Amino acid sequence: MLTQLMTDAITPPLETAAVVPFPAEATRLAEVEPTVRETELLLKIRDARDRGAFADLFGRFAPKIKGYLQRTGLNAEDAENILQDIMIAVWNKARLFDPLRASARTWIYSLARNRLIDMKRAEQREYAALERYAGETAGDAVYEEDLLARAMGQNSVALLALIPPEQARVLLMAYVEGKSHREIARELNLPIGTVKSRARLAFQRVRGILEKNA
Amino acid sequence: MNVTQHPDTAWLLDYATGALSRNFELVLGAHLMACAHCRTELRAAERLGAALMMAGSAERPQLAPQRVLEAEASPSPWVNARALSAGDTDALDLQTVVSQYLDCGLGALPWRSAGRGLQIARLRSEEEERLWLVKAAPGTVLPRHSHTGSELTLVLKGAFFSGQTIYSAGDIEDANECVDHQPVVTRESECLCLAVTEGPLRFRSWLPRIAQSYLGI
Repeated sequence: MLTQLMTDAITPPLETAAVVPFPAEATRLAEVEPTVRETELLLKIRDARDRGAFADLFGRFAPKIKGYLQRTGLNAEDAENILQDIMIAVWNKARLFDPLRASARTWIYSLARNRLIDMKRAEQREYAALERYAGETAGDAVYEEDLLARAMGQNSVALLALIPPEQARVLLMAYVEGKSHREIARELNLPIGTVKSRARLAFQRVRGILEKNA
Repeated sequence: MNVTQHPDTAWLLDYATGALSRNFELVLGAHLMACAHCRTELRAAERLGAALMMAGSAERPQLAPQRVLEAEASPSPWVNARALSAGDTDALDLQTVVSQYLDCGLGALPWRSAGRGLQIARLRSEEEERLWLVKAAPGTVLPRHSHTGSELTLVLKGAFFSGQTIYSAGDIEDANECVDHQPVVTRESECLCLAVTEGPLRFRSWLPRIAQSYLGI
């Protein structure tokens, strides 16, 4: 079963044949086992208040969450504080976790996202997202792959290499810089409709890959 | 509930990444409550966010798990404040929407007449954004208008036509500066909508333009 899923994940569907071939790193995206394991750990925390499971889950998530928080523009100190809030919520609110609705990582991502929204709204402070990609914002400029790799990590590059660069850029501005589609249109000086269709196409393509791994 | 008209995927990505303002989030959240289709889309968008978070580079935390376990139970109001993947009643119970998002009943709102058969109440006004409740008698023809920004209109009760499309309870009409429309309420019943607009509306004719400054639309 797992083998089958992995094979599916590394065999590009017909319509992607014209796009970039699936890079070797992408096999690492087929993280079926880690995802299942994470959910098991969170269930142990939920049902048995298992401290060992929490320490294990912490080791898997805390560094990734901190990296994510810093990519959205927080400095290391703020990221550390927000990380603490998030991990406390994972422990205290685990009873709200429902594995039928979301995997552990999706649940934890939504906690982190909610904490960020809360922070932005509470402080009513424009905190500057890291505009690593905003340097050459003219229209369709292509991301340099090593710039992207440094900003996001090699595995993300593998995922996003499957879609045309102008679509990948819209997803990055949305997910990394936390910008709305209207802000992206303004910044790239593109019509709203263009940004919407790029976002839609990119999302459909990438979600197809993720669902094979779900 | 048979929801057929959905917001563009880009709105759900905005919802998933936390990029929305409070007002847009509120209207989309009410639609998500009623719409299983968009909830599925939203979960996929959150799954992508999670995948990018986990695939991204890591930063070594100073925090140790033991410190978290020793921490006092915190109320963490932000956990519940936003739906962890919006509720899924598959219904748009007017009372729920009203009691969840408004501090008072519908009757107590500051309704103003905005023309024949049309009443509007401004619920929130933040910078360029306005959140409205719009109440229109059966058969009301709204003034033709376009937009200077985005407009999301969620039908709470009744139905209206816009162009060739009918929007009924739970549906969202997703309009922006490219859309010039003239909603017409169906004859069967009164129509109640929750709408969020960004920037002033643009009217074709002079009469609504005069009312515009008075109503603040």
